[in-house]
Amino acid sequence: MSCGNPTVETDALMPRKKKYDKTNECVRCKTSLGNIVIRHAVYCKECFFPLVTFKFRRALEPFVNAKPDGPRRTALKPKGNLLVGFSGGLGSTVLLDLVYRCYVSMDKSTMPAEGGKQHPRHERVWKKVSVCYVEVCDIFPGMKDRTPEVAQLVAQHDGLEFIPLRIQDAFDSSWWARAHSSPGRIDLGVDLTNEELFLNSVPSSTSSTPLESLRTFLASLPTATAMSSTINSLIRLLLLHTALDTGSSHLVLGSSLTSLAVSLISGVSQGRGFNVKEEMQEEWFPDRAPEPSSQREKRTGKGERSVRVIRPLRDVGRKECAAWAWWSGLRVLGRETWPWPGLKQDIGTLTKNFIFGLEKDYPSTVSTIVRTCTKVAPKGEASGICVLCARPIQAGIQEWKSRISIRSRSPGDAIDEKTPVGPSLASHLCYACHTTLTSTSSRPAPPFDATVTKSSLVALPVWVPPQFSEKEELFRTQKMGQEKMRNVVQDFLLDE
Amino acid sequence: MPPRNCALCHEARAILKRPKTGQQICRDCFFWVFETEVHNTITEAGLFKPGDRVAIGASGGKDSTVLAHVMKTLNDRYQYGLELFLLSIDEGITGYRDDSLETVKRNQQQYDMPLKILSYDELYGWTMDAIVSQVGKRNNCTFCGVFRRQALDRGASALHVDHIVTGHNADDIAETVLMNIMRGDIARLGRCTMICTQGEDTIKRSKPFKYAYEKEIVMYAYFKKLDYFSTECIYSPDAYRGHARAFLKDLEAARPSAIIDIIHSGEAFEVKEEIRATQKQQQTCKRCGYMSSNDLCKACTLLEGLERGIANAAITDRARKKLDAEGPAPENLRTIPFYQPSSTPNPALPVTIEGAHN
Amino acid sequence: MPSVKVEFSGGLELLFSNQRKHDISLPERVPADGHESGRPVDIAYLILWLRDNLLQERAELFVENDSVRPGILVLVNDTDWELEGEGECVLKERDEIVFISTLHGG
Repeated sequence: MSCGNPTVETDALMPRKKKYDKTNECVRCKTSLGNIVIRHAVYCKECFFPLVTFKFRRALEPFVNAKPDGPRRTALKPKGNLLVGFSGGLGSTVLLDLVYRCYVSMDKSTMPAEGGKQHPRHERVWKKVSVCYVEVCDIFPGMKDRTPEVAQLVAQHDGLEFIPLRIQDAFDSSWWARAHSSPGRIDLGVDLTNEELFLNSVPSSTSSTPLESLRTFLASLPTATAMSSTINSLIRLLLLHTALDTGSSHLVLGSSLTSLAVSLISGVSQGRGFNVKEEMQEEWFPDRAPEPSSQREKRTGKGERSVRVIRPLRDVGRKECAAWAWWSGLRVLGRETWPWPGLKQDIGTLTKNFIFGLEKDYPSTVSTIVRTCTKVAPKGEASGICVLCARPIQAGIQEWKSRISIRSRSPGDAIDEKTPVGPSLASHLCYACHTTLTSTSSRPAPPFDATVTKSSLVALPVWVPPQFSEKEELFRTQKMGQEKMRNVVQDFLLDE
Repeated sequence: MPPRNCALCHEARAILKRPKTGQQICRDCFFWVFETEVHNTITEAGLFKPGDRVAIGASGGKDSTVLAHVMKTLNDRYQYGLELFLLSIDEGITGYRDDSLETVKRNQQQYDMPLKILSYDELYGWTMDAIVSQVGKRNNCTFCGVFRRQALDRGASALHVDHIVTGHNADDIAETVLMNIMRGDIARLGRCTMICTQGEDTIKRSKPFKYAYEKEIVMYAYFKKLDYFSTECIYSPDAYRGHARAFLKDLEAARPSAIIDIIHSGEAFEVKEEIRATQKQQQTCKRCGYMSSNDLCKACTLLEGLERGIANAAITDRARKKLDAEGPAPENLRTIPFYQPSSTPNPALPVTIEGAHN
Repeated sequence: MPSVKVEFSGGLELLFSNQRKHDISLPERVPADGHESGRPVDIAYLILWLRDNLLQERAELFVENDSVRPGILVLVNDTDWELEGEGECVLKERDEIVFISTLHGG
């Protein structure tokens, strides 16, 4: 690679510094000897716990009340309950412990110091705290079902409701019916062979089980990255809908600083730049129409539901989580690695390995990534909400995509007799979701299960159909049909 | 396996698979689609107008050789009405530049374009070889980058051009987006996906290959039988950029659209209003007149460090303060000639151009 | 001959016969054989000793470039090894060393 780049920057090198600054003494209490180094700062064990607790509260509590605090701090009064998304991983485990100690068992050691502006928070902030775990093992043959272990771990915390889900619930109309007291539909399908992603009915006579629908959907995706990204997206949407079902106004996830940096870079690499903000923290308004005008509304209407997704451990690194878990004697179940060779070709996994490797020699990289991402804002208008991932769609992306890569010799080419016409999913997807479903690789993803075959028409998750107003989208096909028929029979119609 | 037909013309046999889209196409359609995408990039961004004088930053490497070829092709085919020049910078690295400069001279013959070569030696009084012997191999990239940027502007100014085009390709830009996020360079992050950048006193600079994959540039050169000199800078150390580049290559292997997807991400966000307000304002260097965020521009600071034997002076702000503490610069310090950007051709000023036809 | 207690957590125990705690007796000094200096045993030596004597499988999940893989937190007597000179920390009798993998995701 020739160094032909005139914009090479000044600090092209990241010097490897000493692991910590100056002395072995704790920088907080300045009396004890340190037990742990966190990004060049030394802390003793006694100061470590209040430090992490403080960071947890600081990332969560300003967003508990519907309106942000004015000059005076007010009591914490959330609109609804709290749902904890639990994956079994290190971050989730630490999150659960902190949530429990701060808001359920009211562990005194986690209360902020008395006096001054700090009010001890002795009142129970949340009326109900639930824990939701989504099991993915049914996708991969032979993968262990950890639900019983997770249930046992959660049961150790008195007063928490445990909600176990399975990932195939995303394709289960009866799950939807239970969660939303309204019927669910699993008959809307998408044609994955064409970039337009035409919609069509999936014949309900073939009655697949939710698991079959899920596995067919995954097997039909073009790349390993697509599968991995889709599974994560499905989990997040299941958690959001469970939050609604449990009357929760807040959903907390256990992403540490490290895993947040990974998901930000992985997201950027998949075209998710417009939604960088949402990747860190977002608010979902399930009752609002996907149109831009209703989405721009900042204030929540009376009785309007919303779910705030917050990552309270976003300032806490992986190392700190490990130390917390070890010193608190927490049992970490861990997340099962998916038994699938496709992971080697997945952008998420590649990013994770890259960032984890960097963290060792350049520990400030991870916090820099997150900090940089907090300094950017989406550019331009949103043209709606993605029906798959519930995040804002940037205006003009389909036009941009076709401009950047020419795929046909002349514009007229694209439409011939064989090209189906009809409602398409493409304009209802964000850039990243569209890319997930259409972008291919020269190396096809290795199958995760030899018995599952791909299909060109696959059913969509159960939250998609309600977002299409039937009259508008699907009726159009019918309307075309009438016109077409008329053209055919035109010559045979007798004048009225 | 029966031979496939080209996915674009449906007639000729497909002989290659496009790295960007995976489409299997024939040779002629590849040339067409590659050139047309660049043409669309240029017209969509409204980069040029008829009569513009455009300098092509020519290094003799694949990006600039193909760029010169494509610019000439498009200029003729679509009648952009541009006057094209080749501008090459000689950093003074023995062995590295000699061969690539020969390629640039050949390009000048092949494309019938005037060529200007500007060297670090004539501009700054220091070759990269000399710089490395003084500062060592760790920070030399800093010098080279800063010096080259100014050199391109000065060379273009001497040619009285309106516009510089460089061969930065999609891979470069994607890599830069990732790098700037990882290093927290918010100022650069806000600019790096812009196709055309212009400072107050600098010449417009554009990247027509912004959406062109590096692999496709190589493919184009291969099939068009364009010769170029592919060399690794002998002084490149273990830079952070190397890590990012390796990661990018892995991403591309996992999913080829990743390169475009990263650029799209970079275009989809901008620096927040409140952050922009705190960024340093542009001024001009008191010593040489080039644009700067401080009293002295980076190049002058680096040069002063070299001349005074405190070479690492300008690398960090801390070192700069140390340099100032040593006392003011001596009166007879070698400085960079004063910079006067001007795009109006002044026939009175002599401009040495090799093989010029004007 | 320092006897030290070694403990594995965060899934690492699976690589060591699924046993979390191990009592290890180490030689006083690193065996001198031309490469090694005969220096007092330190954590760097312990890591390689564990790899060569106790690790049952998948060495790459524990060791990388003769040190622990990135993402493994090492505590010596309840203190971050980064405060004790990392691999150069000399081992004494009854030292307790814990290796915690943070690679669960979450």
